[in-house]
Amino acid sequence: MNGMMLVARREIGTQVRTRAFKISLLITAVLVGALAFAPKLLDRPDSYTVGTVNSQQLPLAQAAPDATFEWRAFPDEEAAKEAVLAGDVDAALIDGVRVITDGEIETELGVLMQSTNREVKLGAAGVSIPPLQMQSVGADTRYEAARTGIAVVLVLVLFMLIIGQTMMVAMGVVEEKGSRIVEILLSSIRPWQLLGGKIIGLGVLGLINLGTILVVGLAASFASGFAADFPPGMAGIVAGVLVWFVLGYAFFATLAAALASLVSRQEEVGNVMSPLTMLIMAAYFVAFYATSDPTGTLATIVSFVPPFSSMVMPVRMAATEVPLWEVGASAALMIVAVLATLSFGAKVYERAVLRTGARVKLGEVLRAK
Amino acid sequence: MLEISELRKRFAAAPGATEGKLALDGIGFTVRPGEMFGFVGANGAGKTTTMRIVMGVLKADSGSVSWQGKPLGYGERQRFGYMPEERGLYQKMRAGEQIEYFGQLHGLSAPAAKKATDDLLERLGLTERRNDSVESLSLGNQQRVQLAVALVHDPEVLILDEPFSGLDPIAVETLATALQERCRGGVPVIFSSHQLELVERLCDSVGIVSAGRMVASGTVGDLRAAEGGTLRVVVRGATPGWADGLPGELSVTGDRHTLLVAGGDDQEILRRALKAGHVEHFGVEQPTLTEIFKEAVA
Repeated sequence: MNGMMLVARREIGTQVRTRAFKISLLITAVLVGALAFAPKLLDRPDSYTVGTVNSQQLPLAQAAPDATFEWRAFPDEEAAKEAVLAGDVDAALIDGVRVITDGEIETELGVLMQSTNREVKLGAAGVSIPPLQMQSVGADTRYEAARTGIAVVLVLVLFMLIIGQTMMVAMGVVEEKGSRIVEILLSSIRPWQLLGGKIIGLGVLGLINLGTILVVGLAASFASGFAADFPPGMAGIVAGVLVWFVLGYAFFATLAAALASLVSRQEEVGNVMSPLTMLIMAAYFVAFYATSDPTGTLATIVSFVPPFSSMVMPVRMAATEVPLWEVGASAALMIVAVLATLSFGAKVYERAVLRTGARVKLGEVLRAK
Repeated sequence: MLEISELRKRFAAAPGATEGKLALDGIGFTVRPGEMFGFVGANGAGKTTTMRIVMGVLKADSGSVSWQGKPLGYGERQRFGYMPEERGLYQKMRAGEQIEYFGQLHGLSAPAAKKATDDLLERLGLTERRNDSVESLSLGNQQRVQLAVALVHDPEVLILDEPFSGLDPIAVETLATALQERCRGGVPVIFSSHQLELVERLCDSVGIVSAGRMVASGTVGDLRAAEGGTLRVVVRGATPGWADGLPGELSVTGDRHTLLVAGGDDQEILRRALKAGHVEHFGVEQPTLTEIFKEAVA
């Protein structure tokens, strides 16, 4: 156990000190922070400038309280036309009966002006219309946009971290095998200690990364006011992300270590890892699809299938309400898969890591006693 | 005492071949505490395979390795020091941290590992390089760090595969001195080398391997005695044909006649030589390890 912790500590210590680690942490923090401010910047309320010639101002602000309106009076139609063509005003109301625009009028503004004008004229004629009452009988969709946004960011973050850390595990294994450090290491510690220490160490680094993203993301959301749109149960979503990252990473990293132990040179890592990389990509695509259709059959089924569940379930949890039993059952299946992978991966690693030279065949390793 | 007996190892057959290479064919030898054992042999003779089996990196098909009368296991090997043939260090890690790390992996506490590292760096002349990354060190200094990794936990046995290869004479001296110190402290040291003069100078005993077998082993003196010396006689201005009927090989350069004889009646040869001319040189020459080696593997 002590040996494993020493290995883990070395992995963390050497990585944390590298410039690459610090820079990538800083970049992700800045990106995530910017992302939390993005809705506010992109989703600014509409503002219109409307000109008038011989007309009363319409009570547009009353009809669209989120938008802002500025009115400018012009002495004659010629002056108004000039302002419209110069883009100073979006539209101009002439004599209370005509609207002039440069090209087609913006739909929203057009509809608004029509209906407001109608209401004003009807009101003047003594007719009053009670506004329509709106009522939703479907699911509460208030948080849908925020949920989808969070899920999209989440699937990207999980994908990047899992593939990044998994690659680090593979390259670390080959570094030790190729340079024969492993021969010295394995005369002082057991293979499972070395393998376990490496996976834990790089996993902790992944968690540091993920933790930074979560903390910065949440803090920036509160600062930007985006947090007001957070769906209920945000704490559960955050905790779920951490747990699912650990499970997914453990699964993929163990397989990566096993595959990497078959080769002795860094150039061969990409090749030997390609089936695993494809598996991670597949999980990513399904998870990404799930962000747009979190309640669909595909997303629901795949969120139970390890290892895809490690990316799809957290996305479903963020994108929609998932019953607790579903989360529990999916996690239990994933834990079983992780345990199976650990026993398989440790066996392959132990048998292959000392066989330097040409690439070792997986079948050969499994057949050997 | 480290006893290696009857090790056999056949590697897996290459695709298409019916049989793999027989790397070890019953090799065996013993090394006593405080003995420096030089392991020599041509490339591919089985030195590295033997050392890797002793370190548990490879499994032998049959045969045994025992230390102090007990079969060598994982626990005992933890107290061994090992330097593999292809040097293994983390290139990006600092020299001092690396040595400390391996010390801790071998069971030293953090302060003990630090102290041992400081001592070793000082002794190997690397104190200034403690915080340099390994990749920035010269080959000779990397080799010193590698040796420090093998020595940091004060090992009971040292197994070193080609520790002197690629080193300049000064680095060789530093390394040799460090090994001799350990040896005087009662540690058995096994090292392989192609530098036979060095082996001859440093080692108490030598093992010559050829095709997976120990073809000769013992102290350098024993090996010489077994090989026997060569009698060298130089006679000046000898009458031609003086050595007819004598064993050995005669070569003539100018008026110098040189006779090389292995065995034979040296007194008779001396009488004939004195009669033939002016005897300039008469003596038995000890074979060098190189000669013994060539003879043994031939």
